[in-house]
Parts: sequence; structure tokens; C-alpha cells
Amino acid sequence: MANATEQKPAPRFVRADGPDKVTGSGRYVADMSLTGMLHAKFRYAGVAHATIDKIDTSAAETIPGVVSVLTAADVPDVIYSPVVPDRRLFAQDVVRFEGEIIAAVAATTPEIAQQAVDAIVFEYTERPVVDDLEAAMAPDAPLVHEDWESYAVTGDTPRDRNVATFSSIAKGDADAGMAEADMVVKGRYVADGCHAAPIEPRGVLAQWEGTKVTIWTSTQVPFDARNGVCETLGLASNHVRIIVPHLGGGFGGKCGFHFEAHIAALARDARRPVKLVFSREEEFIAPDRRRESMIVDLETGLRSDGTIVARRGWVAVENGAYTADAAFFPQLAAMHVAGPYKMDNVKIDASLVYTNRQPSGSVRAPTAPQACWACESHTDELARALDMDPVEFRKKNAIDTGDTGAVGQVYDEIGMQECIEAATSAIDYGKDLPENEAIGVAIGWWPSFPGPSGAFVRLDADGLGQIVTGAQECGTGAVMTLRQLAADELGMDPEDFQIIYQDTGVGPYDTGATGSQTLLNNGRAVVDAAQQIAEQLRVHAAEQLEAAAGDIVLVDGAAHVAGSPDRSIPIPALAEVAAEGEQLLGKGSGTPPAYPDIPGMNCVGDQGVAAWAAPQFSCHAVHVRLDPDTGVTRVLNVSCAHDSGTIINPIAAHGQVEGGVMMGIGQALTEGTQYSDDGRQLNAALLEYKLQTFADLPTITTAFIQTPTTEAGPRGAKGLAEAPNVPTAAAIANGIAKLVGQPVRKLPMTAERVWEASQ
Amino acid sequence: MTHEMNLAVNGTTYPLTVDVSRNLLSVLREEVGLTGTKQGCDDCECGACMVLVDGQPVNSCSYLAVQAGGREVTTIEGLGTADDMHPIQAKMLEAGGVQCGFCTPGMIMSAQALLSDNPNPSGEEIRIGLSGNLCRCTGYQKILQAITEAAVEIR
Ligand code: FES
Ligand code: FES
Repeated sequence: MANATEQKPAPRFVRADGPDKVTGSGRYVADMSLTGMLHAKFRYAGVAHATIDKIDTSAAETIPGVVSVLTAADVPDVIYSPVVPDRRLFAQDVVRFEGEIIAAVAATTPEIAQQAVDAIVFEYTERPVVDDLEAAMAPDAPLVHEDWESYAVTGDTPRDRNVATFSSIAKGDADAGMAEADMVVKGRYVADGCHAAPIEPRGVLAQWEGTKVTIWTSTQVPFDARNGVCETLGLASNHVRIIVPHLGGGFGGKCGFHFEAHIAALARDARRPVKLVFSREEEFIAPDRRRESMIVDLETGLRSDGTIVARRGWVAVENGAYTADAAFFPQLAAMHVAGPYKMDNVKIDASLVYTNRQPSGSVRAPTAPQACWACESHTDELARALDMDPVEFRKKNAIDTGDTGAVGQVYDEIGMQECIEAATSAIDYGKDLPENEAIGVAIGWWPSFPGPSGAFVRLDADGLGQIVTGAQECGTGAVMTLRQLAADELGMDPEDFQIIYQDTGVGPYDTGATGSQTLLNNGRAVVDAAQQIAEQLRVHAAEQLEAAAGDIVLVDGAAHVAGSPDRSIPIPALAEVAAEGEQLLGKGSGTPPAYPDIPGMNCVGDQGVAAWAAPQFSCHAVHVRLDPDTGVTRVLNVSCAHDSGTIINPIAAHGQVEGGVMMGIGQALTEGTQYSDDGRQLNAALLEYKLQTFADLPTITTAFIQTPTTEAGPRGAKGLAEAPNVPTAAAIANGIAKLVGQPVRKLPMTAERVWEASQ
Repeated sequence: MTHEMNLAVNGTTYPLTVDVSRNLLSVLREEVGLTGTKQGCDDCECGACMVLVDGQPVNSCSYLAVQAGGREVTTIEGLGTADDMHPIQAKMLEAGGVQCGFCTPGMIMSAQALLSDNPNPSGEEIRIGLSGNLCRCTGYQKILQAITEAAVEIR
């Protein structure tokens, strides 16, 4: 059993943005207005694949109240996106998905803007719609990007026609291993795409003053958004300021650079502030961040003693029409298809495939829930083939401390086995159940993402603190937890600190609310900054108390001489002294923890996601009930165990797991994007695309296995926000498969699909 | 077609001229200037816009502003303040029922309607009573706890 790190219980404190949020006084982008503000609307292609014959905006421009109408001709001709730049702000020559923007309008009211958008004449010639991943990979398939070879791709990125990127993971000799196996099990698993669906539809508001623009936007990644505006409009970084007021959720759907440049361009042309607020339908159709559909073929060789000898895999990941940030998805999917298991011989090939659908992008643990669902459904099939209990099979084959994983990484202290034990014992796995109920179990893993990050901390003359950071709060509480870290370094109360955050003009760089990285990286930066102030306080206190600075401890809001608690001075008194001279200002960044080095790693098209820093582990055990007449599955109880390292803010941590589980249940049972034959979304509304409701809530319990991790964030914290979304759907699948007698090979496992599988 | 009306919101009466087709949500947000009530969807699907009209919960996105004439509208701004929170607001924070906060005003107004109707709801009654309010962040469990605790405090 991994040791739980010794911790004093974390203080309970109310999140700093809490009072704003419960009183309705907190401002989100849609709540903001500026004097003279105009309203923006976009004209979307409305067709999945077509050659543009004509875009005529003249009628729209003459409508009273219309101030600006822009198309591709009105902005610099820039092709953007990381790794595979293949996209422009406005469509040029060809449209490749229904939500592609062909024109933007700013007008005095949203209604007039809509009228103008509707008056734009768009003539086109339809092209064949590419919407089948396998067919798209055929040598004679119609191309989504005829110019694919001309794109200025970075890094080692094998590509071919509709395959935007290709990656593999490999170890040993999968063919030889398979030949040695006593039995081989094969399976195909097909997952539909789905959506992040934050409850806040996004908004953008831009205002120019001179040559500088300020953009208030609901982004998870302010610095990425700034860089996107700079790149596409040709602006200097210090001329673009991105401010996020409160952000109404993101789940990755608001990662990346989206509509900030369109609105900035409109505002510049109109010489007025311009605001965009999305409808729910637009939130479904237009962003280039939805969860990718996927096909997974798996083949595993087993020895009759129950060990895995080899695995071969083939994965097709849907890219959609443009490569947002999905270049690394194939390799990440391959890692999840291998799973946290010991196996000596592995070869998994994975491709990112263009289609004429909405682009895919980093939605909460991209690729993982679907790939884990495939891997873990397959794992239960392996156990069945061996006539072995699936939990016993996992205990035997899952990695433990010191084991080697699928690409040759050797794992230090990890809590994988402890997670299996904790989740299954808490739900009393193996107990007798009615015949239409079962407990399904799945395990998952997810990397942490070390990276650069910065923060300032200051104490003012009254001894109250201010944290100034570029980090972004999307609701998880990660930024809110920074108060606790700063307070602990200084022996103060978290409530003594306020936070200025998500403003690129003020805070130092941070990657944003993405990759579960905020606490890991910005936490390190805040600790670094706070330690500088702590040192200043100790020097001041040493002078006042006539002691050595090294003997001063900061605790309970005061500086004490160690061992002499009566020799102390309150921090506000020290702050008052400091304010007259060298101020209490800390600037922190720190060195990111190292990524592991894997000698001889044998992956093609390496996108940097095979060697995992501070890996997180999880096991979910789910008690389900199936109505055999209708195929409706009801989730009764979810028992979770997570190794995300040290837990610093328990309320927020439990909230992440519970939210991730509910999202996972949705993905398991109801959430899937449906398309028409001509490539248009059929369920772009919350009545048709069903999120889990309050009425669906099961009992969710969570155990944290607090494994000590050296190359991690503050106090050994790993990431957490994405991990809980990984194994839920897989565990539900295994519960259903027990009741149906075979896996439901399509995700989501809707009532109809479950019923069909049971026939 | 416009209509002149007096709209009573949180104890203050606002004289307004509104188009008869406008919904209460947009009038509250744009004419009255109270933006605590949120818009999360296009048509009665999310509950973010929940307000009370004469104490009854309504999705203000699907309720004509003119229908509210002569009635008393209560929004999240009318419930409690940061210094003097309503027990539901305080418990939502303490229990961790708030993450991004976008569903929160609607959730709190629905809870308020539920608790005035049924001061001692079972867990199941809370779940059903709030099933029209979507939350994508919290997984609902901490909201359930918050409302259960608030009910005890209010009784
Ligand atoms: S905005 Fe009214 S129910 Fe969604
Ligand atoms: S707290 Fe974000 S939607 Fe509920």
C-alpha cells in the first residue's frame, strides 16, 4: 500500500469567487456592455463540403444599422493552428464543415446583425462529404484538403492525404508475441463524437483604443487566445490584452483560439466595441473543440496463466475538417488503448483522419474516455476468455510500482493497484445482486503536464495579500486553491488573499485551464513567489526580535522565534515596516518537473505524449441496473479511487471527481453527436443532446490514494481535473456487458443499442 | 408592437416600454440591468434563467415579459447579499456546490421555490425538484448536500 503523505487537514475555506457567483453579481462575458457597443453575428457555411462560387455582401451592407461586414478578403491571409496549420479565420475557396465562418457582421442590434447575415448571398457547388473514417483513409477517397502537402507542418509528423497525423506506440515484437500466445482475443469498438457542452455559451467583446485592443472572452486559455489574435491579425503581443471575466465552464471546449480575432477585426473596422454571444446551437456547431469519434480494433494474445503476451491495435481518430490541437491525439489514444498494463510486446498504430465535420479538440481528457472504454471492454473480454474474474485479471496485469508500461516507461511509486483495491472494496464487489444488476469495473490513467508558469504575490502595508497570476479559473477551483498555497508558505489564512487572474496584460504567462495543469505549474509559481516574501518577512522579524533569520517561523499570522513562542510579531506589523522600504513583492516561476526519459523508445510520429510525467491512476466501480425490456441503464452507485498524488483542496478535489463521473455517465449512455448524411449535426440542442440531470444522480464515493510523487507539483500534487472523466464510461460498459452477455460495441450505449445487443 | 408596463423586480418597480414578443429574461438582463439571471440555451432546456414570479419558479427565457406585469418577480439579486447571504447561498459555497457558477443562480432560485413549497424535502424530492436545472461542473452531489443542509437551517 502506498503511504498517504502526512498532512495536516486542509482548512476549509470558501472560494474567493464564491460570493460573486451565488449572489449573481459575478460578471461573465455575456453580462458586459460598453458604450457604443455593436452586436456580432456570423454567417456559417451551412453545408459540409463545397466550393465557394460567390459571396456577395452588398445587400447586407445597405441594411440600416449594419456597421461592418467582413469576409476573408478583409483580414490578412494567414493559415494557422499548431503542428498542422490548415485553417483560416474565414473560408476561402472551399468550405469544409457546416460551422465554417464565411462572413461576420456587426450591427446596432443582434436582430439587425442576423438580418444582415441572412441577406448575404452565398453560392456554392457541393463536393462529396467525407464522413466515414475508414473510407476516408482509402487511397481514392475524396480529399478534405486538396492542398494538404503544402501545409507548413512542424515536428516529426507522418501524414498522408486524409490522414492529418499518424503516430504509433511500440515495444518488443507484437507479431512474435502473438504467435506465442495460447489464445488471441479480438474486438472492434466504435465511439461517436460528443461535446464539452459547458452551460455558458461563449461570448467575446472587443474594444480598440488606438493601436491596442482589449478582448473580454470566455476562453480557458487566455495566452493562446492572445497569440491567435496576434498571429491572424498581425499584431504585437503587447497590443492585445485578453481578459476573462468569470468563465462559465469549459471542459476543453473553450480551449484554443476561437472567435477573438473575428470580433477584434469587426471592432477595428466598425471603430466601436463589438460583442458576440453564442446561442446554444452555435455552441454545438461552430467551435473547433468537440470530442472526437473513434474506431478501435484490438487484438490481444494471452497465456493460459492469465498474463498478456502481446497487443496489436489500430485506431482511427476523427480530426474533423481542421486540425485544431488534435495532432497528438493518435498517440494519446494509442496509450489509452494499451492501458496501464504490463505487456512486453505492443504495436498500436493510430491515425488522425480528416472528415467534413466539426473539428475535434481537447475536450476533458481528449481521446481517453473512448479509448479507455475500448481497452477496458476488451479487458473484460480477455478475462471472460480465460474464465477469470475481471478484477482479478486487472490485479494480475495492471502495473504497480517499479513495473514497466507499454512504451518502456518504468513507473516510480504509483497507486494503481491500491486504486483497484479501494474502489472495488468500497462498493463490496462480488456481493450478491438482483439478476438485472451488476458491478462493472474499469481502470484508467492520465498524464500530468509540467510546463512554464508564473505568478506574483505581494503583501500590502496592512498585511493583506494579493496573488497576481496569468492562470485561468474555469470552475475547478484550481486558481482558488492558490490562496491556500500562498497562505501556508506565509503562515497566514487563505482568506487573507485575493487573486487577480486570467488577464494577459497583468499576470505572467500560464498555459491556462488545460491539461489539468494549473495547480501543478501555477501552484509551483505561487509557492516560489510566496517563499520570497517569507524570506523578506523573516529578515524583518529577525531584526525586530533580535534573532537569526533562519530561526524565524511564520505561523498563525505572526513571525515567531523557533522554540520561543512568546517572542513574536504579527505579520501586519512587519508589512507596515516593509511598506516604507523594500516592498513585499515576490515573483515566482520555478522549474517545471522533468518529463521522464525512456531510452530506446520506439514510437513513430512521436508527439510527446508517450512518456508521461507524474502519471495519475484511477479505478471506477459502477453498480448498474438494466431494464431488459427497454435497454435503459440506470447508474445506482459509483465508487471511485484516484491516485492524483497529494490532495491539497479536498472539497475541490471531490467536486472534480463527481463532475467527471456525471460527464462520464452522460458519455456512456446518452451523449453522442448525430449527423445527417450530408454532414450536418442533427441534435444540436440540449433537448436532443441529453446531459445527465439531477434526477440521474447516483451515489458517488471517492477515495484518494495519495501516493508520494517527487517529480510533480507542490507537495507532490499531480493533475486531477481530467482523470475522473476517463474510466466511468468503461466501467458502466462492463456492468452492462455482464447483464447483456456481451459488450455493446458502440458508444454511447443508448437504450436502443443496449437492447439490440441483448437480443 | 410595444407595450408600456410596470415591472416589479425584487421590491423595486421599473416603468418600461417593451416589445410584446420579448421574454422576461432579456428584459431583466438588458432593460432592468440585472444580469445575475443567465441564459444557457435557446429554449427552456437548462434552467439557468430560473426566476420566481409571485413565488413560482419559471424559466424566464420562455416567459413573456408582459405576462409579468402586475406580478412580483424575484431574481438571484433579490435573495441575499455577499454580506448577508440566504442560507441556500451560504450552504452552496460551504458544501462546494459552486464551480463555474453559471448554473448557480438558476439552481438557487429553483431550490428556493422547492424549499418554500416543501421545507423538509427528501433527497429524491430535491433531485426531482431540481431536474430542470443542468449543471455540467459539479455532478450535483454537493448541490444536493447544500440544499439538504440549507433546508435544515431554514426550518
Ligand atoms: S436559458 Fe432558459 S432554460 Fe435555458
Ligand atoms: S457550476 Fe458550472 S454548470 Fe454548475
